[in-house]
Amino acid sequence: MRSERLKGHLDLLLLSVLSRGPGHGYEVITRLRDRSDGAFELPEGTVYPALHRLEEAGLLASAWNIVSGRRRRIYRLTLAGETALAEQSQQWSEFSGSVGRVLGTPAAVSPLRPALPGVTA
Amino acid sequence: MSPRTPDTPADPVEDYLDRLFVTLSGSPRQVRHTLAEVEAHLRDAVAEGVAAGLTEPEAQAQAVARMGPVQGVTGRRPALTRPSLALVRRLALTAALIGGAGFLAVGVAGVFARLLLTVKGNEFLTAPWPAGTYTRADCARWLAGNPGTHSCVTAMLADHVGDFLLQATAAGLLGLIALAAYLTLRQRWQDRGTLTALPAGTAEALGAALAALAAVVCLGQAVNTEMVQHGVGAGEAWSLGAAAVVAAVAFMLALRRALRRAAPA
Repeated sequence: MRSERLKGHLDLLLLSVLSRGPGHGYEVITRLRDRSDGAFELPEGTVYPALHRLEEAGLLASAWNIVSGRRRRIYRLTLAGETALAEQSQQWSEFSGSVGRVLGTPAAVSPLRPALPGVTA
Repeated sequence: MSPRTPDTPADPVEDYLDRLFVTLSGSPRQVRHTLAEVEAHLRDAVAEGVAAGLTEPEAQAQAVARMGPVQGVTGRRPALTRPSLALVRRLALTAALIGGAGFLAVGVAGVFARLLLTVKGNEFLTAPWPAGTYTRADCARWLAGNPGTHSCVTAMLADHVGDFLLQATAAGLLGLIALAAYLTLRQRWQDRGTLTALPAGTAEALGAALAALAAVVCLGQAVNTEMVQHGVGAGEAWSLGAAAVVAAVAFMLALRRALRRAAPA
């Protein structure tokens, strides 16, 4: 998928990835690639400004830990982040469902997979 | 990051981190944290590539390529590529520092002048105007403004001394405000573009030169007044000259500290 198209949804994707558990930047990229079956390829460096922006917005929190002998910044979702993820997932589901109906294709699912109970595609 | 020597082979990861370091803007802590994050990321990617069968150089090249341009990591146009903004900020800091110190020095000269007044009196601080250069109306105004005086000359001296002390106090306050602005802005503008827009110690060196020049001019004038007028009216120049010497010494100490801080360990 073109990285320009992906960037518009990067925040939602990062929140969704981190809803599965805390992780450092490289883990986030790896999970994003794995869970999209390699469809989401973007310059890996672009994930950092997005993570920092989400942290500034209070949707993520970070802490420095030693993992595998290397000092890493571990990000986790905050309560505000969980709420934002639920809202954005809902908006995405409505949007993709509408596009799917117009195109006559099956409704698209929520990005990656539903992260929270009650949030369905 | 170690400097490249002729014996050190090219290392794409180190080169990438060098480029990122000079491109990142933000506070020193933000820069350090982002560098640490990206370095850990690149080392992980290299290890993954090597584990997948690539050679070390191939894995390094692949890790750097996948990371993308350094501008992608910074998330915005780096301050270093906007020299105009960085330069304007640095010039503003330089002006605030030199201007603030200059005005504060005039305030300090006012303190010196008060000390001289208690020892040598008004006539040492400022010379009376020559007869014929002022009018009866001037005298009336000076006498009205200084009720404790009983002659036109003493009233004139008291008036001029008062003006000098008032202006020195105002300058001192203005200097303190300018220096407070300098400290605030310096704390806020910690991006590398601003920090590197001018060579280290530029403001301090310029301030030292200007203060030294002011000291030479004022002290020269004071010596000349002592010789020509036997000290009458030399106090202002002595006060300003002494304050300029203090400012020059302070700037030189600050310059030495700035150069030491900028010198490679």
